[in-house]
Amino acid sequence: MIKASATNFPSPVGESKPRIDAREKITGAAVYTDDLQFGSALLHARIKRSPYPHALIKRIDVSKARALPGVKAIVTGQDFPGYIGLYLRDRYIFCRDRVRYVGDPVAGVAAVSETAAEQALDLIEVEYEVLEPVLDPEFGVNAEAPLIHPDLGKYEVVNFIFPKPGTNISNHFKLRKGNVDSAWGKCAAIIERKYRIPHIQHVPIEPHIAIAKVDDKGDVTLWASSQSPFAQRNLIAQSLGLSQSEMRVISPSVGGGFGSKAGVSMESLAVAIAMKVNGHPVKLRLTREEEFYTAFVRQGLVAYFKMGCDEKGQLLAMENKFYWDGGAYTEYGVNITRAAGYSCTGPYEVPNVKGDSYCVYTNHPVGGPMRGFGMPEMHAGLEQCIDDLAIQIGMDTVAFRKLNCLKTNSILATGGRIHPIGLDQCIEKAAEEIEWEKKVPASAPNKRRGKGVAAMWKAPAMPPNAGSSAWVELAEDGKVNVGVGGQDLGQGAFTISAQMAAAALGVPYESVRVAVPVDTRYSPYEWQTVASRLTWSMGNAIVNAAKDVRRQVLDLVAEDWEESPDELDIVNGVVISYKSEKETPLKNLVIYGLPNPDGRGWKGGPIIGRGNFMPNDVTGLDAETGQGEHGVVHYTTGAQAIELEVDLDTGRIEIIKGVAAFDVGKAINPDMVKAQMEGGMVQGLSSALFEQLQLKDGFLQNPNLVDYRIATSTDIPREMKSIIVEVPQDDGPWGARGIGEHSMVPTLPAIANAIYDAIGIRFDGPPFTAEKVYLAMLDAGIVK
Amino acid sequence: MAFHKISITINKESEQVVVPSNMTLMQMLRESLALTGTKNGCSAGECGACTVLLNGQPVNSCMVLAVECDGAEIITVEGLAHDRQLDPIQEAIIESGAVQCGFCTPGILISSRALLDRNPDPTEDEIGEALVGNLCRCTGYARIIEAVKKAARTKAIIAQSIPTD
Amino acid sequence: MSLNAHPGLPEFEYIKFENIDDASQFLANHSGDARPLMGGTDIFVRMRDGAWSDKYLVDVKSLSGMNEIANNPTGGLFIGAAANMNRVIAFQAVKENYPILAEAANSCASYQLRTRATIVGNICNASPAGDTIGACILLGGILNVHGINGTRQEPLSKFFLGPGKSKLKAGDIVTSIQLPIPPKGMVGKYIKHGRNKVSDLAIVGITVVGWPDADLPSGLRIRLALASVAPVPLVVDQVETILSEKRIDEKTIAEAAQVAMSACNPIDDVRASARYRKQMVRNLSIKALTEVWERLKN
Repeated sequence: MIKASATNFPSPVGESKPRIDAREKITGAAVYTDDLQFGSALLHARIKRSPYPHALIKRIDVSKARALPGVKAIVTGQDFPGYIGLYLRDRYIFCRDRVRYVGDPVAGVAAVSETAAEQALDLIEVEYEVLEPVLDPEFGVNAEAPLIHPDLGKYEVVNFIFPKPGTNISNHFKLRKGNVDSAWGKCAAIIERKYRIPHIQHVPIEPHIAIAKVDDKGDVTLWASSQSPFAQRNLIAQSLGLSQSEMRVISPSVGGGFGSKAGVSMESLAVAIAMKVNGHPVKLRLTREEEFYTAFVRQGLVAYFKMGCDEKGQLLAMENKFYWDGGAYTEYGVNITRAAGYSCTGPYEVPNVKGDSYCVYTNHPVGGPMRGFGMPEMHAGLEQCIDDLAIQIGMDTVAFRKLNCLKTNSILATGGRIHPIGLDQCIEKAAEEIEWEKKVPASAPNKRRGKGVAAMWKAPAMPPNAGSSAWVELAEDGKVNVGVGGQDLGQGAFTISAQMAAAALGVPYESVRVAVPVDTRYSPYEWQTVASRLTWSMGNAIVNAAKDVRRQVLDLVAEDWEESPDELDIVNGVVISYKSEKETPLKNLVIYGLPNPDGRGWKGGPIIGRGNFMPNDVTGLDAETGQGEHGVVHYTTGAQAIELEVDLDTGRIEIIKGVAAFDVGKAINPDMVKAQMEGGMVQGLSSALFEQLQLKDGFLQNPNLVDYRIATSTDIPREMKSIIVEVPQDDGPWGARGIGEHSMVPTLPAIANAIYDAIGIRFDGPPFTAEKVYLAMLDAGIVK
Repeated sequence: MAFHKISITINKESEQVVVPSNMTLMQMLRESLALTGTKNGCSAGECGACTVLLNGQPVNSCMVLAVECDGAEIITVEGLAHDRQLDPIQEAIIESGAVQCGFCTPGILISSRALLDRNPDPTEDEIGEALVGNLCRCTGYARIIEAVKKAARTKAIIAQSIPTD
Repeated sequence: MSLNAHPGLPEFEYIKFENIDDASQFLANHSGDARPLMGGTDIFVRMRDGAWSDKYLVDVKSLSGMNEIANNPTGGLFIGAAANMNRVIAFQAVKENYPILAEAANSCASYQLRTRATIVGNICNASPAGDTIGACILLGGILNVHGINGTRQEPLSKFFLGPGKSKLKAGDIVTSIQLPIPPKGMVGKYIKHGRNKVSDLAIVGITVVGWPDADLPSGLRIRLALASVAPVPLVVDQVETILSEKRIDEKTIAEAAQVAMSACNPIDDVRASARYRKQMVRNLSIKALTEVWERLKN
């Protein structure tokens, strides 16, 4: 008989295990929120929305709508006086006195069918007094701009966000380090640029949906396609004057999030309406059109960069100013501006920094978290400036980055030093894979070919006390069930949860299940599935829970075998002793314990392990200088390199090759890490070449998939290569950090830099559509 | 508004359904028959999440009226497997790591299956073009295209190894 | 319009007739409230958007002859109005004798939409952006129309009156399109320019057909039609004139393309600017004309 030992069975961590939830997704069995069956008690909701970007509500008359057969309830803002918001409570569930963007919810209807609810909307009469809108963040900060939130000074706000009452500025993050004014004189080259990054949208293929039901005790159940069941419970309960335990949130499978389904957006509307319909479940789902202009969008940015280096190419100073077009409500968006503020140098060591990041209210759709959380918007311009500066000083742009990029122990712009990172390796490997030195001729006379690189960094942007927890239990067959509160949006959170639990416990991956769907009644607490934090934070919690199980098991068996737990191990589901070579499978003891040798009673009992993780050492950042010893938990860094061709006849860009290299600390599932790199690169190139929410006078001109173009199967690079770099994160499970967002961050500037290499043109903002590229070439005389 | 009684075969099972004039095939599948594998991503014929086979050809079921399907044969994602045995395209999608959130996946599987039915050995460009009406936001498509190629090879091997006499 | 798109289709009556006369009569009697239903890909989008609110959709797909595609060695190609684009693309006679039609149809939308969309339906919608309309016009297409006063023929060359407007009257049902036998040696090229590489609607579409014609000084008859750059699908006759009278070379092609550019008057819209559209008309006309010329030379 082959004795079990740790060396016979590779750990599932580091293996490209198949997705734990693949089968139900490819058979159509996976249950998404709209797939839930509620029977004939189900009511359907539709929302009456503001047709103006900025107006006062003078009068609402719902009487005609209420009389329509099939209508069961109509609610307005008068029914719900509570504010709601994650970092800044600046929003009502339904507007009360004022509408602030086209689409702002004014009333909600529950009816026996979606059609009846929709018909009722037309019968709701609303009288508005139109106000002048703010449509640009630089205008918004002026004294003469209309005030969108006159009560800003009264809003509850967390202590790391700094709104300016009496203005449209809901946050101003300041970074002051060294002395930029005296540094410019020492620079051999200085670049000053302005970029305008338009709004874009996440476009998850599954639009937002929420179903809410209030029972006769007043307890709420909310089913939603959600990244944040616990945050939704917390925020909605608080706003409605409920206690958190009176609300339960269940999130079935999620058809894509990218940040849009974090925090609270339309879910509160469903709950509010459900409160008025006597126990019926109420379903609210957004049409794709509503998804474009009433769900979270990625805020626009007007960015000013000024940076300088010495004659050797060493960065000496940066002065960067960001005006974020935050939209009508910035309860979530304020933190994006903070994150960009403390990251405003990009992944470089810069001794003198002046950074100002302003979150500005505008009468535009609501800015919220989108993959990258400010980093794609910021790096879009910053990485082009880095290129321009390098070119000005006569240095190769890859060499410039390798010289200036953060390395282990580099000093951060916020003070403190960075942990071990492999950013320079990422830059080097990406450059090597794209054959940076090699100049490749264009494939045809009417093409121009170019290569570009860009680097990036991002830290999880979250409150200092964002926590994770997990439980682990076993069944009579010795197989494992892991409870988590983090959500799998497609990125693979459930799969790696199983891998990490299996590895930490000592059982095969195949014998681990994850307790889904995430349900706040049964699942352990998780702050939110955002910030690329789950692998690290939830992973640590899972490991702790598994270790708790291990300890209980080994203590029990040690007692039974009269050995020390230190000589025991669990390998492949079997408890073994290295000393005596005894073995017993887990299933023999995890429920019923073990019998005492003298036949008198049993010891042990049902094994259940618990674990949590919360960062303990995040310091604040000074309100005036942005300095702090340990302002964020860690950074993930990386780089991408792009080779492309520009078509001189049409301006169309074709991506020949895209290379990504990211330092993930440890790839728990390497194939899934690469899948994130590919998906992020394509979403990044889509934002670079196609995407823009075309807002005119506050109205979205392209709220549909016909005119908001996203990358299709024929728009992807001809070749994509994903490189994993692993410089371990000392406090991450097996050294792991996140990757989900980062893969989208450097793509746009890498493309912009490659376009410049090909045709020598820069743009003041994306998207680099064929039209924009062609007309720029025409105006520059490159084509006639 | 009138209701119509239609006879329709779905995943090889005969059904009789009563549908209003304005109900789409997608709505009938999801709401009347609880076949929720077919997804609603846009209701405008753009995203492809609702793709099903209608008389062997892929259509956006949100762009077809249920009443137009009287007498038709429909295959949805639930009908792709053969008696619990996954179709090669389903196996290949799993193996290639070509499914993430899974919402586009049913439509992708249907479109891919239809492609291989009409073109058993497609090039990567042909696969890309065949799938252009199936939007995916998660995977970046490359693995999907690889999976279809893999499934084509598997199906070719199966076809060769089936004895014919 | 899209901002207020409904979740589903509004209420309407779905009606089918056994007899085309009854269908025509119904459509005429309910003019303004009724519409023929073919592929539906346009109708359903506009109804959801609230742009069209017909009370009756009359399904004409099953009327006699509507689903046929037939090739007649003397009469030409006959495409029933309900024949979907994928069927047309795959039809042997289309591949052999009218490949330009297959090329144009293949550029439409997606495979799924082409399973429903029809060549005739596209024509009836009279959108200047229709991908297959240029080919149908240049091939000498003729519509067979059944109206309340009987049947008639409408040549495509005179059919379009404005965006969404055609010679069709209340009660009219187009039953088929006929394409005469193409001239010997005809080749064609359709270039569609969208925002993505594939699948977008055309922000500019260039159709070129050409064939040897010994009666012409240049020896070649070449015709060009433009999509999305005028209120109607635009045939630029002057291109044909230049290329029939002068010796064809790079210079005459460039001249013809310049003429095409001047002939069109595109608009600025959410998809593209007029300036860009004009430039693309010129550049892509050069491409399409050059390719056709090269193929005819050999």
